[in-house]
Amino acid sequence: MRVLPGLSGRHLSMPPSTETDSAFVPGAEPAHYDAPHASIDPDRSKTWLKRAMPILRSHQKIFIVSLVLSFVGLVLQVQIPKLLSDAIDNSITPHPATRDPITHHVIVHHGVPLHIYVWWIVALAVAGVVAGYVSRLYLFQTAYRIEFDLRNIIYEHLTKMSFPFYDRVQSGQLISRANSDIRSVQMYMTFAPMILVQCSIALVAFGFMLWINVPLAFVAMVTMPFVYLTGVKMRKSMFPVSWIIQARLAEVATIVDENINGVRVVKSFAAEQQQLRSLAKAADRVQWGYVKDADLRARWTPTIQNLPQLGLALVLLVGGYMVIHGHLQLGAIVAFYSYLLMMQAPFMMLGMIIMMGQRAAASADRIYEILDEQPTIVDRSGAVDLVDCEGDVRFASVDFAYGGDEAPLVLSNFDLHLSPGETVALVGRTGAGKSTVARLLTRFYDVTSGAVEVDGHDVREVTLASLRSHIGIVLDEPFLFSISIRDNIAYGRPTAQMEEIEAAARAAGADEFISDLPEGYDTVVGERGYTLSGGQRQRIAIARTLLVNPPILVLDDATSAIDVQVEQQIHGALRVLMEGRTTLIIAHRLSTISLADRVVLLDGGAIVADGTHAELLASTPLYAEVLAQAEELDGVRLGDEAEVN
Amino acid sequence: MAFGGGWGGGVGAGPPGAPVAGLPFGGIPSELQAGVDHLLADEPERGEPEIVFSQQPRPDERVRLSLWRLLVRYPRMLVISGVLIVILSVALQVGPKLTEIAINRGMNPKHYQFSVVVWAALAYLVATAIGALCQRWQVRVTGRLAAGVMNDLRIKIFSHLQRLSLDFFTAEKAGVIMTRMTSDIENLQQLLQDGLAQFAIQGLTMVVISVFLFTTNVRLAFITLFLVVPILTAMSVWFHRRSEAGYDKVRDGIANVMADLSESLHGVRIVTAHNRQRRNVVHHRNVVGEYRDANNYTAFVNSVYGPGTQLVGVLGQAALLAIGGDMVLHHTLSVGALVEFFLYLNRFFAPIQLLVQQYNSYQQGQASVLKLRTLLETEPDVKEAVDAEELPAIAGEIVFDKVAFGYDRATPVIHGVSLRIAPGETVAFVGPTGAGKSTLAKLIVRFYDPTEGRVLIDGHDIASVTLSSLRRQLGVVPQEPFLFAGTIRDNISFARPEASDAEVEEAVRTVGLSDLIDRMPQGVDTVVHERGQSLSSGERQLIALARAFLAHPRVLVLDEATSNLDLQSETKIEAALDILLEARTAVLIAHRLSTAMKADRIVVVDEGRIVEVGPHNELVAAGGRYAEMYATWSSQAEGASSPRH
Repeated sequence: MRVLPGLSGRHLSMPPSTETDSAFVPGAEPAHYDAPHASIDPDRSKTWLKRAMPILRSHQKIFIVSLVLSFVGLVLQVQIPKLLSDAIDNSITPHPATRDPITHHVIVHHGVPLHIYVWWIVALAVAGVVAGYVSRLYLFQTAYRIEFDLRNIIYEHLTKMSFPFYDRVQSGQLISRANSDIRSVQMYMTFAPMILVQCSIALVAFGFMLWINVPLAFVAMVTMPFVYLTGVKMRKSMFPVSWIIQARLAEVATIVDENINGVRVVKSFAAEQQQLRSLAKAADRVQWGYVKDADLRARWTPTIQNLPQLGLALVLLVGGYMVIHGHLQLGAIVAFYSYLLMMQAPFMMLGMIIMMGQRAAASADRIYEILDEQPTIVDRSGAVDLVDCEGDVRFASVDFAYGGDEAPLVLSNFDLHLSPGETVALVGRTGAGKSTVARLLTRFYDVTSGAVEVDGHDVREVTLASLRSHIGIVLDEPFLFSISIRDNIAYGRPTAQMEEIEAAARAAGADEFISDLPEGYDTVVGERGYTLSGGQRQRIAIARTLLVNPPILVLDDATSAIDVQVEQQIHGALRVLMEGRTTLIIAHRLSTISLADRVVLLDGGAIVADGTHAELLASTPLYAEVLAQAEELDGVRLGDEAEVN
Repeated sequence: MAFGGGWGGGVGAGPPGAPVAGLPFGGIPSELQAGVDHLLADEPERGEPEIVFSQQPRPDERVRLSLWRLLVRYPRMLVISGVLIVILSVALQVGPKLTEIAINRGMNPKHYQFSVVVWAALAYLVATAIGALCQRWQVRVTGRLAAGVMNDLRIKIFSHLQRLSLDFFTAEKAGVIMTRMTSDIENLQQLLQDGLAQFAIQGLTMVVISVFLFTTNVRLAFITLFLVVPILTAMSVWFHRRSEAGYDKVRDGIANVMADLSESLHGVRIVTAHNRQRRNVVHHRNVVGEYRDANNYTAFVNSVYGPGTQLVGVLGQAALLAIGGDMVLHHTLSVGALVEFFLYLNRFFAPIQLLVQQYNSYQQGQASVLKLRTLLETEPDVKEAVDAEELPAIAGEIVFDKVAFGYDRATPVIHGVSLRIAPGETVAFVGPTGAGKSTLAKLIVRFYDPTEGRVLIDGHDIASVTLSSLRRQLGVVPQEPFLFAGTIRDNISFARPEASDAEVEEAVRTVGLSDLIDRMPQGVDTVVHERGQSLSSGERQLIALARAFLAHPRVLVLDEATSNLDLQSETKIEAALDILLEARTAVLIAHRLSTAMKADRIVVVDEGRIVEVGPHNELVAAGGRYAEMYATWSSQAEGASSPRH
């Protein structure tokens, strides 16, 4: 790492050239798959398909091979009827002396043996099937690669998003977009090119028809512009309904997501009936969308699919007239007929593809809506890594509000300084802004005005990864992942040795109960860790942070569910750990507050008192009041078995 | 209930396009606004869906899930679309027949008859028009049928999810359940809406053409069908087996992808705090990659089957050419008959290609049906008795009668507990970690069933009464509050959505939420979110308390929710609890002695057994376990008033 002398001092260095090299990011597990090679075009003025083109282009090799082979296969297929009719004319027709009334040719020989035609057909068929196999396989693979890319791009984008985004977006919505919407885009990308290639056979067929008879060729194709125009109209009228359906599917997803995550509340209050009713309501709204969709399809698809049939009838009429008046041979009608039939299947699918295109366009918009959201909390250009952090923390005249300018200030003119190694307890009422202070320090949010500084550097001037790697935060909500306890503890340092993990667990008072579990550290915790009690989860969360061994520690109500006996044990370990570390404790419990060198009383978003416990007790009635209640309230915790399941 | 709101909540809810408070995300794209408004103008007002939840599955909900059973619930639509499909298929085949008549009779060089050609062309037009009309109706009817079936399925699956007990939600990842309810159901949409109809149309066409083949030449028909059908059957069996396994993997793959995404979203704070983004991106890529591999396998199976059937078709034609040609050369068949045979055989193979495509989507749908069937066949651990009765209004006596229980049958955590709690009594459960206090509470609300013994309320075994009548009379305050997306009002009135404004206000006042509500821009109508950062955990708990208060339960089970609160709020809660506990039976899982002391009786639980029962004073005097705890607490409280420094 290069040290940058120009910028103030020894703590700063330029970030490494690639993020993966960063010393602050936990090492990656082995990647078994390549990352996407391209992302969507950021230019919002382009159409959705154009914006997706860079992704398609990154797979163009197999895609083009697939399309070319698909075309080759079709051309081979076109030859087979011709071979069959030649075989009948040249090898089977038994009366060479008969003058053919249609072709006016006199057939005088049995020139070609039948088996030659048979073998030709077999050869063409085999070649066709090989081309068909490869083209299909590659086409599907292209589609799945696109889906793979989109899923990964969205996921990676979501990991970059900042908390203000997560505050206003529901997970159910994001999941729905990463599911139904990617699916409909991917479906379109699977089928559309293949059908388009099949439609290209229409061009070949049109060429053949022109070659046989120009006027009749135009008669045959006269309906095609109408097919196109109807398609355009259909597009316009179907787009809104597709959008409505996708939006309503997301509503269903949101209800299900909340129902699953809030299942304990639902069951406790026997609210199944009303949950079912709100789902039924959302499902009903989806149903209406699909009925509307069916009505619109019913209006357009029969027209699109049957217009080519109209062409056939016209060919029969006009061609029949021409045959009767000797301008055309009968065989030509049969040929035209097979060519138009050949076009029919692609055109039938063209109706389907237009519909799918509608869904895909609506879905793509919804996906782009996520991708176009820019993270608000990002590394500034020229941000440098924070290294050798000493742990000097300063909040300088900080104002902060969640949401926009009109939102009420949670912190106003907040000043706080923590010297390196100091332990400060933040005390205050609910809603006083204590947790907000912790969130600003880790830069989960950016201050509205003022600055948060670590070692004298504004947190906005250093890289996020380096900042967060120096701050360990234990949150009030001890979220665990459904992986083994070992992996949960090692979440911040996946490469940690087993001994280190056990040591961290011991320090957090978790080793004992983990060892008692049948599978010990390899026990996989249930969905969101609910098979453990609240206190046990908090201890694992503390161990998780201790393992990272950060110079700055934030305990946001981290021991609230741990019973006092256990907390006493932890306190011993915590005291050792806090030695030489800057620690911010957000707590209500006196025993926890007693770990601190200094107590800061927060009220209404500002500090009202700052000093040692004794000083505050003497100077601030509010604190004394709080303590008076504390003596009464904060007694011995009677066990931490606060399971919620 | 406004819990279905969220992104796209502007669609049809309230004035179109009106921004949803706090959710700037997901508005209608401006170019769609007019179209969407136009569509929604037609949407009829529908009242609350009349749907009744019952713990007992209705008899029709017990039968095995299959597509057919879902469809036959709409016999009228099924018959109508069936009839329309038959007419449609015939109308499609009339055209070619008319063409042949026109060619053979009208354009026969021996006597041209233009009138025949004109009539044939006109008849062709009429047939096409009839076909188009039938198709129009068929699309409308099958569209409605599909929408209805999908609606039924959503409600069926969601109802079943509501019946499943907590152990299911603990063991299964939320993302997987989510996939069943969204992706797996949506997977059936295309199949129901279009696929099955196409299946029927193409199948009918093949039957019609087979008949034509046999009427032309029985011997030749037998030979060709005998060559083609067995190979096709063998290939289809192969395809069926391979694709069944393949799509099963695909369904598992997508469920894993969703589970990983869902967990990342719900644990986003931990992910961010530990700088795990990059590592998680790689992990997600591996999960998505496995899903892609599963998809690629089905792509391989499809790519073999599709072109393979095509090959069989062409080889059939080649065989026909060899055999039929030989027959012609030996004068056992006329050339005309052979030509006709070729024309029909062509048409016989065209639908096979379309059938192959539909079969593929059928297989995908079937994989989803299997997943859903497995879900539906999962029995809840806690089942309502078939003859369960409504629990009449209770006085609130709770009796544990020799209760034993273990989450895992092999390791019991409760051993032979007997206890009677009198109506109106407040009992506090105290004891060390893992003693089984919360477990006892969970047995009262019947989140689990005892392995031995009974729990009785007012003399009714709770296993013999309906779950909703039981839980409606119990109020539970879990330790960790969960907020649904919606307004604060929705969250408070969760248990009783019909509660009046005055009642909500009373609940707000009682728990001391008035300050918060006054601070909020929209008061109780302020929208909160699952991860709502603008509320502190203390405030979330107050809302959970208000929720329990509004439910007016006879029995209150409180897993000391006050543990995360600051002292100020605790005072409020103390006061609220006094009101809440009045004239109610209450079970407190106490984490602090001050709470326990308020109870009429204290139950000391250790290692799954009750070791002491009695009022505070008696237990202290008895000098047992509780007295020991009290002594520790007293010294602790003294120490707490003089923290270090």
